[in-house]
Amino acid sequence: MPLLKIDGKEIEIKSGTTVLQAAEANGIEIPYYCYHPALEIVGSCRMCLVQVEGMPKLQVSCNTFVSDVSSDRKVDGKYDMVVHTQNDLVVQERKNILEFLLLNHPLDCSVCDQAGECYLQDYSFKFGNAHSRFDENKRVRPNEFLGSQIVINHNRCIMCSQCVRFTQEISGTSELFVEARGYNSKIAVLEDNPLDNLLAGNVADICPVGALLSTDYIHKNRIWNLKKQPSVCQDCSVGCNVDVFSQTDQILRLTARENLDVNGYFMCDIGRYGFHRYEEIDRVLQPMVRKGDSFVSADWETAIQKTIDLIKKNKSNTAGIVSPFHTNESNFLLGQIFKDVLGSLPPITGEEITYPSGFRISADRSPNTRGMNDICEGIVEDLASKIKTQDIRTLFILDDGVDRKLDDKWKKIIGKMDSVIVLSYAMTDLAKLAHVVLPGHAPLEREGTITNDKGRIQWLRPSLPVKVESKPDWEILMLVRNALDKKTEHFVELGEVMKKMGEKFENYAGITFFKVGNQGYSINGKSS
Amino acid sequence: MDLLGFTIILVKVLVVFAATMLGVLVMIYAERRVSAFMQDRVGPNRVGPKGVLQPIADGIKFLMKEDLVPEKVDKPIFILAPAILLIPALMTFAVIPFGSSINLFGREIALQVADVNVGVLYILALTSISVYGIVLAGWSSNNKYSLLGGLRSSAQLISYELAMGLAVVSIILLAGSLRLNDIITDQQGSFFSWNIFRQPLAFLIFLIAVYAETNRLPFDLSEAEQELVGGYHTEYSSMKFAMFFMAEYANMITAAALTVTLFFGGWDVPLLDEGSLGLFGTLLSVLSFLLKMAFFLFLFIWVRWTFPRFRYDQLMRLGWKVMLPLALFNIFLTAGYLTLKALG
Amino acid sequence: MATIVKSYEPTFWDKLYLPALMRGLIVTFRHFFRKNVTIQYPDQKHIPPEGYRGLHRLNKYPEGRIKCVACEMCSAACPADCIHIIPGPSPWDGGKERYPVRFDIDLLRCIFCGFCEMACPEEAIELTEIYDFSDYTRDDLVIDKEGLLEVYDLTKDQNYYTKKNLSKASSVNTSIDT
Ligand code: SF4
Ligand code: SF4
Ligand code: FES
Repeated sequence: MPLLKIDGKEIEIKSGTTVLQAAEANGIEIPYYCYHPALEIVGSCRMCLVQVEGMPKLQVSCNTFVSDVSSDRKVDGKYDMVVHTQNDLVVQERKNILEFLLLNHPLDCSVCDQAGECYLQDYSFKFGNAHSRFDENKRVRPNEFLGSQIVINHNRCIMCSQCVRFTQEISGTSELFVEARGYNSKIAVLEDNPLDNLLAGNVADICPVGALLSTDYIHKNRIWNLKKQPSVCQDCSVGCNVDVFSQTDQILRLTARENLDVNGYFMCDIGRYGFHRYEEIDRVLQPMVRKGDSFVSADWETAIQKTIDLIKKNKSNTAGIVSPFHTNESNFLLGQIFKDVLGSLPPITGEEITYPSGFRISADRSPNTRGMNDICEGIVEDLASKIKTQDIRTLFILDDGVDRKLDDKWKKIIGKMDSVIVLSYAMTDLAKLAHVVLPGHAPLEREGTITNDKGRIQWLRPSLPVKVESKPDWEILMLVRNALDKKTEHFVELGEVMKKMGEKFENYAGITFFKVGNQGYSINGKSS
Repeated sequence: MDLLGFTIILVKVLVVFAATMLGVLVMIYAERRVSAFMQDRVGPNRVGPKGVLQPIADGIKFLMKEDLVPEKVDKPIFILAPAILLIPALMTFAVIPFGSSINLFGREIALQVADVNVGVLYILALTSISVYGIVLAGWSSNNKYSLLGGLRSSAQLISYELAMGLAVVSIILLAGSLRLNDIITDQQGSFFSWNIFRQPLAFLIFLIAVYAETNRLPFDLSEAEQELVGGYHTEYSSMKFAMFFMAEYANMITAAALTVTLFFGGWDVPLLDEGSLGLFGTLLSVLSFLLKMAFFLFLFIWVRWTFPRFRYDQLMRLGWKVMLPLALFNIFLTAGYLTLKALG
Repeated sequence: MATIVKSYEPTFWDKLYLPALMRGLIVTFRHFFRKNVTIQYPDQKHIPPEGYRGLHRLNKYPEGRIKCVACEMCSAACPADCIHIIPGPSPWDGGKERYPVRFDIDLLRCIFCGFCEMACPEEAIELTEIYDFSDYTRDDLVIDKEGLLEVYDLTKDQNYYTKKNLSKASSVNTSIDT
C-alpha cells in the first residue's frame, strides 16, 4: 500500500484513492466544491488545490490519485507522495480562487436561503479575503425556473456542475446542462425537458451555494432557527435516511442524510415534500368516544375504560389490525393483545422506480411491511373472509393514516362491526367509523424502529414535540393491554418494549437504539 | 376655680393643641420640600399652590387606606401603642411657655397651659413614656424586625436620656428652679445671658440627645429601613401608621420648643423688656419663640438629610463613653463655679 | 510591585468630628439654593441625547418600500430573543426579493441594547428616542411591523419630543391587532 505524507502526517492508504479522500479520511481539511463522492470527478472548481512534491504546479487533490511508485522515486526513500495542504502557496492560491468565485457572486447573504449552510460563506470566512478588488459591475441575470419545484439564481452559481452530473449519473435524465462557455456559461434546461423528475429536489441539496433553490423552502426561514433531527423517511419501504428541519411545532424541510447502505446521499421528492400531507389534516388530539352520530372528547381514563369494555363484550370475536405504517414496537404490542386473529388492510402500493445509479423508489409505499410481518405471527392472508368465517364482531385497528383510502368493501365490513376502536392521529375515513378513537402520534412525531424491505432496522426519531393530549402509540397500546390483563408488564420506556420484542423474535434480539444508531442495523447479518 | 379661669385654660389647651397639629402638618410639608431642595429636586408641588396641601392629601390617603391588623398580633396592645406614643408627645407641650403674659379681662394670663413647678421633670417623665409606645408596638406586632426596632429604641432612649437629664441638671443648677418660667427669667437680659453661651457643652450634649430621643436621623435605628424594614411600625398601616408619623413630628416640635426654652431664652427677645410694651410686646415674644423654634425644626430636617445613620455599637459608645462623662464633667464644672461664686 | 498604603491617622481635631459635621451641613445647605434638575415629566419631556436607545422603528425607502429583508440577523443577535420574524417573498418588483411578512418585537423582553441595529445589514432597524410607550397589557407591548413602520413616520424628520404636537406622544400604537 502506498505511504503518503500529508502535512507531516504519515498515511497509508489503498492505491487508487484520491489525495482529497485520503486527507478527508484522516481529518485533514481540504476545501472543495465540485467533488461529490457519488459523482464523477471533473476537477473544475480548483478549490481543492494542494502542493505535491515533485510536481511543478499545484494539483487538484480531488483528481490526484495515490499509487505505488518505484522505490528509486520514493521521497525520503519511503513516501510515495508528499502533500502540503497548508503552506503559503496553497493558502494564497485558495485566496485567489475564492476571489475569482466571488467576482460575480452577489453579496446577498441576507436574503439567501443557503446562508448558514453555504460553503462559499464558510470557505470565504476560513480561507478567503475580507474584501474584493473587483471594481466592475457584477454580471446580473434574472432567476429562472428549471422545473416546477426548482429555481436557479444564476448570479450565485459557481459552476461546480454537480447538479449537471447529478442529472446525468444519478437520475439518468440529463435535463441540466451547461449552456455556452466561459464567462457566458450557465446552467440551463431545454424548454421541452424541464427538471421535473422525482429526484429533482436533490439538486437543491447538493448545490454548495444558494443557486439552486427549492420553491418549497424559499424565503421560509433561516437555517439557524431550525432544529435538525436525523430520522427516516416513511413514504416507501426503502426507508431513506433524512434530516428533518423543524421550528417549534412545524416541519420546514427534509433533506437526505448519507447512508451508503440505504439511500446513498439522496432521496426522492415523494418523501422530500411528503411531510406537507400531515399539515392540513384533521388531527385528533384528544381521545374521542362516539355518541350517536358524532364524537365527544373524553379523558384518557374513560377512553381506555370504554375500549376495554367494548373488547370484553366480544372477547373471542375480536380481531386486531396491525399496520405497516407503524413501528415494530406498536405492532408487537398489538400482536400481543390479539393473539388469535391478527390481520392487516390491503397494502398501499405505487410505481416501482429504479434509477441507473441504483437509487430505488419501492412499489410498497408503506415503510414497515417487512417489520410488521417479522414481528406479528400469524397475520391472516385474507382478513375479509376470516372476519366472515370467525364471526368477528370487534376490531382494534392501528390506523395507517392519511394515505389509507378505504374502499367500499372495507367500509361495509367495518360498518357491520359491533364496535371499532381506532388508534389514529387524524380523523381519517377509518377513524370516522370508529366507536373510540385513541389519539396517537403522526409519522414524524413517532419514536420507534422500523425495518425496511432489505431487512435493515432503522431508528425513527421524533422530530416534533408531542401535541396536546396525544400519546405515543406504544404507550396507548400498553395501557390497553394492562387494562385488559392486569398481569402484563408495564413499560416505562420504549427500550423495554424492544427488549421484550427481542426475547420473542430471534432476529430482533439485542436490538437497542444505541445499536441501531443513525445508520441502522441489518438483521440479515450483512449489510443489505 | 371660676368659670372664666376654666374657659381661659380650655382655650389655651385648644390653641396649643391646634397649633401643634398645624405644626405637624407644616413639618410634614417642610420635611419633603426641604429634603427635595437639598437634593436639587422640587418635591411635592402638585396639590395646592406650591404643593402646600400635600399633607392634607397624605392625610386623606392615610384615612382611605385599609387598616390592616395582622392575624397574629397582640390586638389590644397593637391598637393602643400608637396612642401611647402620640399622646405624651402632645402632652409635653402643656408646660412650655410660648410667650410672655398678656392682660385680658383684668387678669394676667400666662401663655402657657400649665405652670408646673417641676416642669423640667414633667417633660423628662413624659418623653420616657413615649418610648413605651415604640416598644409595645414592636412587641405586639409579633414580627422579628419590629421587635428589634422596639428594643433598639428602648436601649437608645435609656442611654441618651441619662446624658440629656444630666445636661439639663446644669441648667437647673444655674436657674435654681425646675419651673420653666424661672429658667426663662434666668436667661433674660443681654444676649449672653442665654444658656447657650453660659453652658455650651450642655447645649451640645442636649442637642445630640434630643435627636436620639426623637428617633430622628442619625439616630433612627429603631426604624432603619435597610435593616429592619421599617422597624417598629412595619406592621402598621392606615391611620395607625399616621399616628406614628404624627407623633414623630409632634415630638420634634416639642423638642425644638424645649431646646429654645432651656438654651435660647424661650420667648425672650434679647435687650428688650416685653412687659413694658403691652400687647405688642407679647406678640413680639410669641414671634421670637416661634422663630427660634422654626430654626431648630429646620435644623432637624437639615441634619436628617445630611448625615448617615449610626451603627448600633457606635451609638452606644457615643452615649455611654462620651456624652455621659462629658455631662457629668459639665455638672461638676457648673457646681464648682456656683460654689466659688457663692463663696465670693 | 506592592504598594504600601499608609492608613490615615485621624488627628485630635478630626476626632472631635464637629468640624466635619459642620462641613457636611454646609454642603447640603449650599444645595438648598442650587437650581433643581427635576423635569416635570408629563408636562415637560426629557429630550434624550443623540444615540439614545428607545423604541424601535423599521426604516423605509423614500418610495415607501420597507428596507428590511427579513434576514433575521437582528433576531440572531438579540440577546433577549425578542424579535420574531416571518419572512416571505417580497411583493415589490426588482431588487430585494425578500421581506418580512411579520415582524414582531416583544418590548417587554427587549433590553434596548441596540444589538439589532448594529447587526442589521440593511440599516433597516433602528432604535429611536421614544421612551414613553407604556401600555396596559402584555399583548399591547408586542409591537408589530405596522407599528414599527408607524414609529418611523413619527420619528423620521426630527426629534420626536421637540415636535409641537406632543399629545401624539401617548398615542404610539404598540398593539397588534390580531
Ligand atoms: S435592542 Fe437588543 S434586546 Fe432589544 S430587540 Fe434589539 S437586540 Fe434585542
Ligand atoms: S431588520 Fe435588518 S437585520 Fe433584522 S431582518 Fe430586517 S434586514 Fe435583517
Ligand atoms: S473539488 Fe477538486 S477541483 Fe473542485
